[in-house]
Amino acid sequence: MRIAIGIALYLSAVAVGLGSAWWVLTKAPWMNATVQTGAWKANLRAGSPDADMYTRASVALNALLALDRDETLYFVATHDDTGKSLRSTCTYRVEGIPPKARWWSITAYADDKFLFDAPGGHYSLNGSTATLDINGRFSFTTGGQEQPGTHWLPTPGDRGLFLTLRLYNPEKELQAAPTTMAPPTITPTGACA
Amino acid sequence: MTQMSTRKRLWFYRVLTLTATAAIVHLLTVWAAPRLIMRVLMDGPMAHALNMQNQAAFPLPVNAASRSVVMPSPDMLYSVCVYDVSAGPVQIKANPGLQTYWSVALYSANSDNFFVLNDRKAAGKPVDLWLVSERGNSDGPVVPEGVQVVVSPSTKGFLLMRVLTGDYEAEKSVLEPARRTLVCNKV
Repeated sequence: MRIAIGIALYLSAVAVGLGSAWWVLTKAPWMNATVQTGAWKANLRAGSPDADMYTRASVALNALLALDRDETLYFVATHDDTGKSLRSTCTYRVEGIPPKARWWSITAYADDKFLFDAPGGHYSLNGSTATLDINGRFSFTTGGQEQPGTHWLPTPGDRGLFLTLRLYNPEKELQAAPTTMAPPTITPTGACA
Repeated sequence: MTQMSTRKRLWFYRVLTLTATAAIVHLLTVWAAPRLIMRVLMDGPMAHALNMQNQAAFPLPVNAASRSVVMPSPDMLYSVCVYDVSAGPVQIKANPGLQTYWSVALYSANSDNFFVLNDRKAAGKPVDLWLVSERGNSDGPVVPEGVQVVVSPSTKGFLLMRVLTGDYEAEKSVLEPARRTLVCNKV
């Protein structure tokens, strides 16, 4: 009996070690955000050989094969501008000015970190496909239902959603101070507003 | 000085042992996670299907069915290779000849991105690298003139070439040949 209790306690300790590691690497709010601008967060040590072991493990789990910030800046938005978690069933209007980088893209991912099965293969808006208005701003909507008159990124199903903004070859000033980026706004519309 | 009873001391050591066990498992998990993930990437089903050990491979364009690596970019075409410098240098060549963004990035077995060369840094010249292990290449073949030598922190690692595609269907006649210029062979 005492041996069984001892084994159970050791297995519990192992489970606590595994579970705490999993929580820190996937859920801990401080792991994937060293800077934030608007709803967008970025870990500036992603991809860097200088990363500590927690950052390295977190990047391997959440953004494997990331490039370092000189090459690419990655911003992730998991919430809208009102602070609510993004959901694929909601409609969001995303709007902003093109970031100061050689090229950029915003991609919609499901909460399993893979692409939605989007009709027409519309997974992202990027510096090549974005149409700017007379004020030099781009805009698009995400959601399950197409919104007329806008570029639509379909997010079918009912699940968590996040957006990733990639800046390839960001300008030097932006590399040095990523929070100076004018963050694209993420506004819920319709039933989720 | 108050002495702990034998029973209390026993419980103290039990709690200490369990706490230490949890802490060690936690640290080992964090340390091992990127290495295990890289091992799956380099030796897993995708690596076998694409036959990319010291050989360039060209996965299909990213879509909703692409589930080998998290957060795949639908705006990039990828060329890949698992390099192994344990038996000698690996030669990496590419000549995409594109005016748009492309890069060749190298990742060590612990997932660190230790080298990247993009089209701007290449300045119109083809990529021509020899990848060698940390013990160097003093007893290996002579490095040809003009070839850049890069030391890999691990004997095995992953090469990812990215080629920008804003509109794949419209650009594939140019981009497909460009990404297929990647060579990744043991010397």
